[in-house]
Amino acid sequence: MSDTQWPRYEVFVQERPGRPHQHAGSVHAPDPEMALLNARDVFVRRPECASLWVAPSATVRGGTAEELSQLVAAPVSEEGSPDIEYLVFAKLEERGTLAHVGEVHATGPDDALAAAKAAASRPPLALWVVPAARVERTLPEEAASMFDPSRHKPFRDQAFYHIQTALRRLRRDPLPIASLQNRGKKR
Amino acid sequence: MTDDERLAHFEARIGRGEKIEPGDWMPPEYRRQLIRMISQHAHSEIVGMLPEGGWITMAPSLRRKLVLVAKVQDEGGHGQYLYHAAETLGISREEMIEALHSGKAKYSSIFNYPARSWADIGVIGWFVDGAAILNQTMLARSSYGPYARAMVRISAEESFHNKQGIEIVLALIEGTPTQRAMAQDAVNRWWWPTLMMFGPHDSESPNTPALVRWGIKTRSNDELRQEFVNQTVPQAEAMRLSLPDPDLRFDESTGNWRFGEIDWGEFWRVVGGDGPCNRERLQARRAAHEDGLWVREAMAAYAARA
Repeated sequence: MSDTQWPRYEVFVQERPGRPHQHAGSVHAPDPEMALLNARDVFVRRPECASLWVAPSATVRGGTAEELSQLVAAPVSEEGSPDIEYLVFAKLEERGTLAHVGEVHATGPDDALAAAKAAASRPPLALWVVPAARVERTLPEEAASMFDPSRHKPFRDQAFYHIQTALRRLRRDPLPIASLQNRGKKR
Repeated sequence: MTDDERLAHFEARIGRGEKIEPGDWMPPEYRRQLIRMISQHAHSEIVGMLPEGGWITMAPSLRRKLVLVAKVQDEGGHGQYLYHAAETLGISREEMIEALHSGKAKYSSIFNYPARSWADIGVIGWFVDGAAILNQTMLARSSYGPYARAMVRISAEESFHNKQGIEIVLALIEGTPTQRAMAQDAVNRWWWPTLMMFGPHDSESPNTPALVRWGIKTRSNDELRQEFVNQTVPQAEAMRLSLPDPDLRFDESTGNWRFGEIDWGEFWRVVGGDGPCNRERLQARRAAHEDGLWVREAMAAYAARA
């Protein structure tokens, strides 16, 4: 194994219960468990997280609108019954990112991507399928220990600092520079 | 499609405000410029932890210490977001880190200046993060999807960095004469290097036309620099801190604060590796990487357990 280049895992963050998991970026880790911990440290320093998923980048099959347009329709190339479950992630808005939109069952990744494309309510700007069995997820009972620490750090939020108020006060009552020379120690 | 047709299609997409995603066709030069910019940006976040990191154990109160730890952690995280964005273009994180450690890769020249006193921590947040936010807000509209999304996330998190810095400076200017003098001294040392952060004049910036044409950048170095000066001068005035530029004056006709000429000799010297701390910074990065080897070995052993 090389010095720093552990396998890459794609990271999906659910900001609030009931919201879809959204792609946030990736981390490197030696195994899925470490990938979840790294994902927490890299992407969840603030409270907006209810659940995290990670999946090895190598298991993701996907394409952009440009690539999907060249996808041959229904390439049922793989043998067997469609019994592998894939999670489907779609980017639907230009300014958006890939978000979890549902599941498909397929015999392999190419079938899954074709099935996901066929099932899309409108043409996605990008589409990913990930085998459900390869997705490592935080458990509801772990949520408190994984995500609660960030709730006790209000100083990570800019609203914690009242800079504009202080600057307005200084503009109204300028610092008397001369008298500063004579000011004593701490008040 | 021929390459010319592909290029026309690509530029039309950018013209319509579409985001380019990994896997889309892109001109090799677009990919090259993005890898250069994003990896430099990632390295800047990582090296940027060093000047402030040294002050964590010397922070003057527990509150200041908690805030500074949180800020430095954010910078580490932001470096990771950016390495990820660059990786979507086909370069590996290992190649980027190797380029940083060998001295081949560039990072923002501002981090080659030392943080000499506690007041520097305040002024870095006020000036350096203030300048970075202007740049990052622009890049959040970049045409490359993964870069734009990383910037949206970073911009949302960074406004606290700027405000905690201003808060430190405010505490000093309302403190003792010595504290006020510390703040003024830090302002004097950081003002010009911060103006250099925006890069060479537009007329001297070889990469700007391609970057603007392809929507990677949407504003030029000089425009961003002017906006920084315009937003910072009134803040300094309110704090009754002077900025070290005798040519600084308000231009009624344009509504801009005009400022004196930047010492570009200094800029190119620092970019070229001969700044006050270039060697120290790279040495610290290499040492951190080597000292962390046992952690990586332990993690690999844990992953390989039966």
